[in-house]
Amino acid sequence: MVRRLAVLCLSVAAPLGLCAQSPSLHFSGQAIPLLTTTNAVPGGATLTEGRLVLPVLMLEGAALGDHLQLHAMGDFEGWTIPHGQLATGAYGEGYYDRRHPHTYVHELMLTGADVLGPLGSRIVVSVSAGKGFAPFGTDDPMSRPPMLYPANHHLAQILERAVAVAAITAGKVTLEGGTFNGDEPEYPSQWPKWNRFGDSWALRASGRPVSGLEAQVSRAHVHSPEHRQGAGTDQEKWSASARWESAVAGRPAYALAEWARTAEAGGAYLLHSALVEGAYGLGRYRPYFRLERTDRTEDQRVFGEPFRSVRPHLDSSILGMTRWTISTLGAQVRAWRRGAVAFSPTAEVAFASVAKVGGGVFDPRVFYGRTSFTTLTVGIRADWGMGGHRMGYYRGTPMAEPMTMPMDHQHPEP
Amino acid sequence: MSRRVLPFLLGALLAGCDHTTPLVPTNVAAASGDAQTDTVARVLPAPLVVTVMVEGGNPVVGAPVVWAVQSGGGSVTAATVTDAAGQASATWTLGPIAGAQLVHVTASGRSVTFTATALPDAPTQASKNAGDKQNAAPGAALPVPYAVLVQDQFGNPVPGVTVNWAAAAGQGSVSPAAGVTGASGVATTVHTLGPTLGADTVTATVPVLAVTLTFVSTGLRQAILVATVPIPANYGIHDTFVRDGIAFVFAWNSGVLIYDVGNGAYGGSPSSPQYIGGVITNASGISAGPDVHNGWWFWNPNTGEKKYLFIGQEGPAFGGIGNGSSGLIHVVDVHDLAHPVEVAYFHKAGPDSTGTHNFWVDEPNQILYAAYYNGGVVALNVSGTLSGDLSSRLIDSLRIGGVGNTYTWGVQLYNGSLYAVDMLSGFWQLNTSAGHLSFAAGGNNVPERFGSDLWVANGYAYTGTWGGFYRTSGVPGNAIKVWQLVSGAPTLVDSIITTGIATVSDVEVSSNGKLLMFSTENGPNAGFHFYSLADPAHPAFLLKYLVGTGVHTATLGYIGGRVYAFGAKDPGSPALIILDVTSLTQ
Repeated sequence: MVRRLAVLCLSVAAPLGLCAQSPSLHFSGQAIPLLTTTNAVPGGATLTEGRLVLPVLMLEGAALGDHLQLHAMGDFEGWTIPHGQLATGAYGEGYYDRRHPHTYVHELMLTGADVLGPLGSRIVVSVSAGKGFAPFGTDDPMSRPPMLYPANHHLAQILERAVAVAAITAGKVTLEGGTFNGDEPEYPSQWPKWNRFGDSWALRASGRPVSGLEAQVSRAHVHSPEHRQGAGTDQEKWSASARWESAVAGRPAYALAEWARTAEAGGAYLLHSALVEGAYGLGRYRPYFRLERTDRTEDQRVFGEPFRSVRPHLDSSILGMTRWTISTLGAQVRAWRRGAVAFSPTAEVAFASVAKVGGGVFDPRVFYGRTSFTTLTVGIRADWGMGGHRMGYYRGTPMAEPMTMPMDHQHPEP
Repeated sequence: MSRRVLPFLLGALLAGCDHTTPLVPTNVAAASGDAQTDTVARVLPAPLVVTVMVEGGNPVVGAPVVWAVQSGGGSVTAATVTDAAGQASATWTLGPIAGAQLVHVTASGRSVTFTATALPDAPTQASKNAGDKQNAAPGAALPVPYAVLVQDQFGNPVPGVTVNWAAAAGQGSVSPAAGVTGASGVATTVHTLGPTLGADTVTATVPVLAVTLTFVSTGLRQAILVATVPIPANYGIHDTFVRDGIAFVFAWNSGVLIYDVGNGAYGGSPSSPQYIGGVITNASGISAGPDVHNGWWFWNPNTGEKKYLFIGQEGPAFGGIGNGSSGLIHVVDVHDLAHPVEVAYFHKAGPDSTGTHNFWVDEPNQILYAAYYNGGVVALNVSGTLSGDLSSRLIDSLRIGGVGNTYTWGVQLYNGSLYAVDMLSGFWQLNTSAGHLSFAAGGNNVPERFGSDLWVANGYAYTGTWGGFYRTSGVPGNAIKVWQLVSGAPTLVDSIITTGIATVSDVEVSSNGKLLMFSTENGPNAGFHFYSLADPAHPAFLLKYLVGTGVHTATLGYIGGRVYAFGAKDPGSPALIILDVTSLTQ
């Protein structure tokens, strides 16, 4: 698999030639030790867990006058949260009410940037290939203010796939198209199923009409994401969002509003999500919020493991749908910073409610013993030069706005 | 001077000093008596003779000779010095141990060994050597052959002794029925147990000794794995229909796979299924694909045709299990099993989406009854030639629990009534008149769990429960409900609770009414479970056969006088599992 990815990556690099230019490399990383207590637990219990989440190392490289770019990230959650992380309403990759651990090779993408060079005077064309994000949806939650992932992660992003992406930027508009394998990973060491590469596709159009504002619309077809062999149902996905990042009263501010829709099994299941979130910089302090309403399907759970769904799928495994309404408030304070290294204690509380949507046998009141939940999380963001780094884009050219999250991104000075 | 000459010169000098001192011998040889054969403990007929010589062949007179029995436990009576011819002799009485025996002879540092072969004495005793007191399924060949050991008075095995074997009447057979002991003194036979449970006896007679030995093994209830057939993980195997040694494997998006599992026409057997053919039925617009789920091979007693295979397509459940469903009935022409062809389909039209699940066919009356999930129960006329759209053949349908309370899993015709299990509304008895359906009794009688499959026999119904979601918190779908069917509503008389599972996914009773089998999923006790129906109101546990990933459905097949369970092993590594369960049906 690694060899195939390498071949795929080299095929991107080849058209660029091999003219010698001094390459640049940038290493960074982060980790968040945190403590979460929640009653969003099957069976009506309350759970408190301490975990180390998002322990990642990132390598960004550039060569050939930035025409060749590397995005690589190792994620070690397979070691630190092998059974997932408590996260209200989260689901995906066989986990429920817990966010799944990412794969060890979270991202390994090679981008040929501005491959037309002077020939494309009015447009910038880039091609990318490797393992990473499909061009769909919004920024990965890893790079956003709240510590816990939103419930809509698998409605609003498509990640950890063998993907090939072409991006065309003309002025303030970028069009990205990609093809990838539909299967989601099932465990941290699993690679994409190579023979399924190309069975799914995604398109994203984004524009920056005014300074600080970026809007996007995405569409994707994902074949059998939850059955690795390909016998599962398909997903038709839409996403639209507006992201704003600017200064308000001289202080940095950030806001995101997104809508996502996934139709599964030919429309048998229609999942919607609406989310708004924002953050504001007050010196060392950064308060933030997130409001979310997201639908999710409910799968059969593993006997004795209510946080896990049966994998591989059996025939009809979807028990029904639920709608999660989650309000999150949090605050982060930068307690210590030396150069690119920063430690930021953070606390957030989430209030959630769940409701049954439509028919089906799944009844959240029976399953959870309640329908409203409270989740409290405290942690310390430990960043080494990557806090807030936006993920999931391989446009190969500087955006009109920096590819950063507000207030936090700290590349070391050259 | 050569070093070789020196000893002889010294010898000559010494001889010149004293004539009574013998020459130093240079060679000791066996003159006669070596390599004799006789019975153990006998005196060999010829004495053992050695010659002691110096170089040049001259005998040594008066040389001391030492005789020693080296193996075999015998004894020698011997002269201890050489005579005038340089020879000494001994009489050898063989020891009691059969085989090679040795006597070692030494003279002045030189030696020679005599060998004799000791044969066993006449047989005096026989005993059971191996194989006694085994357990196996009735009708099964015991894995360890019975063995008789024949020995002489010293315990030596005696070859060439005839042993006759005989199984007691009705208690199986032996092969061979007679034999002779081999070099190890052992004669063997293989006992194939009789067809019934309990002790089976085989006698071994040794005529020469007038001895009879008795071997006893026991026929026990067992489920014996005879074959595992991998199925493509697409997603896997869902159900199996077995008739006349043909197994139709319903393998989801791989379609229906047809195997000879004992029919013989294609060389298959239960232990060696042979693929005959298959077909992937039409997806019919269902987004998830053909979703081949279950089937029934229709033998029409009116026409003698065995032409049609009805296949259920289990499409996605709209809005979740218990809400909506999708899928069609597909009709496949299987008159040529190697080349099945889809010829017709049925889709239940209506304002709500509906999809099919399990079937039962009233073959004499040519009516297909289908559990139709949220469509309830459907009766379809399947007489005559089936082609194209069969929607006009709908006789009747009945949403047994009403709208919002119907998700029917299975149906079965029994004693003129149609019985149905509904996931939401429980166990029902329906009247059917030429396919026209009406309520008889039952319903809304399993409130704590969701229903699953059923089987009706012996005046009782056995219904399973499903636990993909626990209808009541902490209560898995791990129950079999036992219903007595008398006049009036079905009466719940017992329940079987199986720990360590979430779902009972399939239920069947053997054709003789003695065995209840059900398959289970999701949990450490997932697999096959078998109960005796000696008391049909209160099944008694026999045994379980666990399958790690679970068994989605289990079907009994009757082949060559034996009974087999065909199980659909869940993914990963989906497979058709075939167990010999004949002993469980006794």
